[in-house]
Amino acid sequence: MNFTWSFALARAGVAFGLALIAGWVFGGMPWWLAGVIAAYLCYHLVNLFRLNRWLASRALLEPPNTGGLWGDIIAQIVRLERRKRYHKQRFIRMFREFRRSSAVMPDGVIMLTRTREIQWFNRTARRLLDLKPKLDVGLRIDNLIRVPEFVRYLDEGRFDAPVVVPVHANGGTMLALHVVPYGEGGQLLFARDVTRQSQIEALRTDFVANASHELRTPLTVIMGYLDTLADDPALGEAWRAPLAEMRRQAERMNAILHDLLELSRLEATGARAGDEPVDVGGLLSLLRKDAVASSPRPREITLSLESQAQLRGAAAELESAFSNLIQNAVRYTPEGGRINIRWWTDAAGGHVSVADTGIGIPAEHLPRITERFYRVDRGRSRATGGSGLGLAIVKHALQRHGAELEVVSEEGKGSRFTCHFPPDRVIAETRRAVG
Amino acid sequence: METADLSHHISRRFNADLEGVRTQVLAMGGFVEEQLQKAVTALVEGDSGLGEAVALDDRKVNDMEISIDEECSRILATRAPTAGDLRVIVAIIKTITDLERIGDEGEKIAYIAGRLASMERPTDKYREIKHLGRQVEQMVHGALDAFARMDAQAAVRVAREDRSVDEEYESIQRQCITFMMEDPRTIRRALDVMWVVRALERIGDHAKNICEYVIYMVYGKDVRHTQLDEIERDLAARGA
Repeated sequence: MNFTWSFALARAGVAFGLALIAGWVFGGMPWWLAGVIAAYLCYHLVNLFRLNRWLASRALLEPPNTGGLWGDIIAQIVRLERRKRYHKQRFIRMFREFRRSSAVMPDGVIMLTRTREIQWFNRTARRLLDLKPKLDVGLRIDNLIRVPEFVRYLDEGRFDAPVVVPVHANGGTMLALHVVPYGEGGQLLFARDVTRQSQIEALRTDFVANASHELRTPLTVIMGYLDTLADDPALGEAWRAPLAEMRRQAERMNAILHDLLELSRLEATGARAGDEPVDVGGLLSLLRKDAVASSPRPREITLSLESQAQLRGAAAELESAFSNLIQNAVRYTPEGGRINIRWWTDAAGGHVSVADTGIGIPAEHLPRITERFYRVDRGRSRATGGSGLGLAIVKHALQRHGAELEVVSEEGKGSRFTCHFPPDRVIAETRRAVG
Repeated sequence: METADLSHHISRRFNADLEGVRTQVLAMGGFVEEQLQKAVTALVEGDSGLGEAVALDDRKVNDMEISIDEECSRILATRAPTAGDLRVIVAIIKTITDLERIGDEGEKIAYIAGRLASMERPTDKYREIKHLGRQVEQMVHGALDAFARMDAQAAVRVAREDRSVDEEYESIQRQCITFMMEDPRTIRRALDVMWVVRALERIGDHAKNICEYVIYMVYGKDVRHTQLDEIERDLAARGA
């Protein structure tokens, strides 16, 4: 209890004490008491009235100077008021700064609510997405950006990467749209103009595809003559070895061109692979047979099919992905090694793994092995005749099926490549039995 | 107190229903826009594979129309909307019919694109069709934007573009006739081109119809078969 309160209590006590004494001395005790209570009430009522009048128009009036208990309360209100005003001003200043800085941001930013309604957007977003200030606040973003691919991106809710879509309103502009969830259910949508990048990307892909295509014809001619020459009995013995080497290298060039074309075809045909049912078991047995027949060194290749389920996807792409994995395993597993191909399904989806007891991959190379032409050991992979594009093809084909590639490897002991397919790509075996 | 809360609840669910069906319409619109764009691209770039894919996907547009139609009937039956809400439902039912027709015309273009891809391409590489296609795509886009924003003024602006689409149509028609007279061997191709241009012109008309439904939805005024200038004066008088 602070001083003001003790003083106020003491004052009330003294007033009542005086009333009691006066009543006892002069008689008429009730009247004295009633008089003191009435005076006390009046004092508080007057102060209440002044407080109320001041609160009603406190922006204009000075606070009433009452002192005592009421003065204390008024002083506290003034303090609260001042603090509130300070915070408000600080907030307004911050907000203004935020608006100014967001206006010059090179990326478009849109704040969305839980139900995808637009709450706020900056000037860049307005320009990029052709939004109308004020009018568009409260509208659902997917009502304005109606590109089906973007709507699917929102529905699927996998926001780890942006989606690149053409925005029709600006005539051929390509935007990279990236949703980042924040707080409780809020979402930030970032928009960036990537028209130039995608043009360059398209140019590059086209160039690679055209160049490989153009190179194929002369190469076929060269290979044809090399074949004829090799079979020519009139050819001197000294030429046999060089000719054989020339044929091998021409074969390799052909393989590289084939893989380059395959890769650019994968890149060119949209983001999602088709929906035809693919019999994984049958496909893997065929690939195993190929591997057993073609590999020059004898070794054990086992196949364990633990599921009858099928996959929804493009058969040619899946075949190319699995075949590349198996060929890699064959290539890097020494004589006497083992290769196991496995297909199984569970709650997380479908999985295909190719495990070998080969030379393995050093850990520092693992993150980069799916890059084009990336070599762990340049000398060795050339000798084994790979194109350097196999894993890049695997990665692209899997991406188009929404699948992921997992690589576990230990140097000298072997590697395991596992493809994880999402559950919506798996057609359960029971349904197949019914149909 | 309790009844007030209940009615509030009902109207909120109703709003959610309306909002949901509107979003479905716009999703359908987005899909139709993409179909149209792809169909024109297939034709201009001679990509028969893309043309076939577009023609096949028209089925999805029809499915969307049926599902939205059912949803509208359900809302009409269970909520018995009045005034503005009723107008929204009526406008939606009409809009999806036009969107479905746009899809059909797109299918037609895609189908012809597949056929034209195997023929020799003209020297102008279908530049006129590309231009007209861009114009029509923009009309459809603008009409759907006006629908999303309930923006009657934008709707009038888009509807006005129909005139320039019609002019373009006439000029390509005349050009085709000239080609046919100069060289009778091009008649087959020119006839196909005529079909495409005709389809694009029809799409422009459908987009204009959607704009009229937007005006109806916002102001409750039926502006079909009315001159655009008159509509604009009318809207200005209402202080829009």
